[in-house]
Amino acid sequence: MFLLDARITGKRLVARDMFVITMHAPQIASSVLPGQFVNIGWSPGPLLRRPFSVYRVDGERIEIVLKAVGTGTAQLLSMAQGDRVSCLGPLGHGFEIGAGPRTAVLVSGGLGVASMRLAARQAASLGIRVAWVHGARTSQDLCSETDGDDVIWATDDGSKGIKGTAVAAAPDAGLVLACGPNRMLAAVAARWPGAQVAVETYMGCGTGVCLGCAVPLARGGYDRACKEGPVYRAADVDWASLPPHLSYAVPA
Amino acid sequence: MTQMSVDIGALRLRGPVLAASGTFGYGTEVPLLERRALAGMVSKGIFLRPREGTPPPRIAETPSGMLNAIGLQGPGVEVVIRDYAPKWAEWDFPVFVNINGESAAEYGELAARLDGVPGVAGIEINISCPNVEQGGLYFGNDPRSASAVTEAVRKRTSLPVWVKLTPMVTDIGVIARAVEAAGADALCAINTLVGMSIDLNDYKPRLSFRTGGLSGPAIRPLAVHLAHQAARAVRIPVIGIGGISRAEDALEFLVAGCAAVQVGTATFVNPSAIAEVHDGIAAFLEAKGFSSPADLPRFLPRD
Repeated sequence: MFLLDARITGKRLVARDMFVITMHAPQIASSVLPGQFVNIGWSPGPLLRRPFSVYRVDGERIEIVLKAVGTGTAQLLSMAQGDRVSCLGPLGHGFEIGAGPRTAVLVSGGLGVASMRLAARQAASLGIRVAWVHGARTSQDLCSETDGDDVIWATDDGSKGIKGTAVAAAPDAGLVLACGPNRMLAAVAARWPGAQVAVETYMGCGTGVCLGCAVPLARGGYDRACKEGPVYRAADVDWASLPPHLSYAVPA
Repeated sequence: MTQMSVDIGALRLRGPVLAASGTFGYGTEVPLLERRALAGMVSKGIFLRPREGTPPPRIAETPSGMLNAIGLQGPGVEVVIRDYAPKWAEWDFPVFVNINGESAAEYGELAARLDGVPGVAGIEINISCPNVEQGGLYFGNDPRSASAVTEAVRKRTSLPVWVKLTPMVTDIGVIARAVEAAGADALCAINTLVGMSIDLNDYKPRLSFRTGGLSGPAIRPLAVHLAHQAARAVRIPVIGIGGISRAEDALEFLVAGCAAVQVGTATFVNPSAIAEVHDGIAAFLEAKGFSSPADLPRFLPRD
């Protein structure tokens, strides 16, 4: 885990109101694993840091995906190249992608796309054939960047790809990874209990101390999205007790 | 050269800055810890038995603060003694255990279990718990219950006993005097304030528990005032807590009558917060020509 002053090096639009921000964070870029996240703070800014999945690594830079969902993310989006943020990471337990399965399906909804690029790279490097399945409300809300051997789109209004959910549009595969709103992940759990899913929660410290990001477990009790998670075996989460959607949460 | 140690009763700490309960786990989970600046820590609050904690959402950010309702999730005293105390015994700073119960007898039982355990340097009593025997009234809101809990702990241990006061009272001085008379070695002021925040998307509280403890810079002026009121009421040392994230914040508590401080929520945001507060106090004392934290002028009228 590293605590870095990271310089913002770029910003690009990838869907309506959805941006990729690039920052210089060499130690994190060289150690981050798919599904892990960084906890970002800035001054003046909100009290707590904000967690973001690491979307891509480009040399010594890392990328995150965000939408302005509150004042904090709006401030982050208004920053210019050269501005600095405090970046703590890499954090959490990510996807486990090993040799074995011949096909993988990566299912993401909305901002959930944020944890899929690194996963796609790792799967591809192991010779796994990747189906990239991405869903959103409308064609304008779909992330324009993809990574996979096959790309499947799904929109609620049918304006691009299959009309319906990303989960319904996805083929079966030896390895299923998913990230998106918790209600989408609950549907993933119903179809593929063995899938690996990255949950969304509010977070305090991001390092396992505050116990604020509790994830209810099917076997009873809670653990920490920031430490044991954010990636879980879908069947291990008590989906009925996890808030189905967080109004201000960004998928971790 | 400024000398940074402070005395809390018979206990000498190597500095004036401690880590507050609930923001430091059991000391083993904390990232990038700079131990040199840490005078001591208070563990996550524990009960006799394991506790599951409250359902999510457990935290909500508010202006300059955060609400939390974790529900004192924890493994219970036996696991703490077995898994954590042996580690604490090897550390070069004291670890206080924050204890919680539903009756005075439970607090006493916890004190007895912790007494003499290597690695446990002292006990911090959290009196912001509902007293089940009194229909859920909070121990800390009633001088008699607060005193009964303190006495129950005092009787069962020779360890230093600190009592962490709740701000949710009409006169903190009354509670402070009651627990001093019952044998507390020091007071910690303040615990979180009870707060509530509503989500306008679904017309419900943002926390599943409805209310939560408010911490962070938002509470600091209240905390300085209440720690000051407590310090004026008693002769035992008061440890100031509430929204400290910089040295200047800590210095306010010291001048207001506190002997030391605890830093809490700030460590969630800034893993170096404790070291920065410690170093900033040292630099201030040096610049102003004070030889130790105890030499700082205290604004503590006893009228």
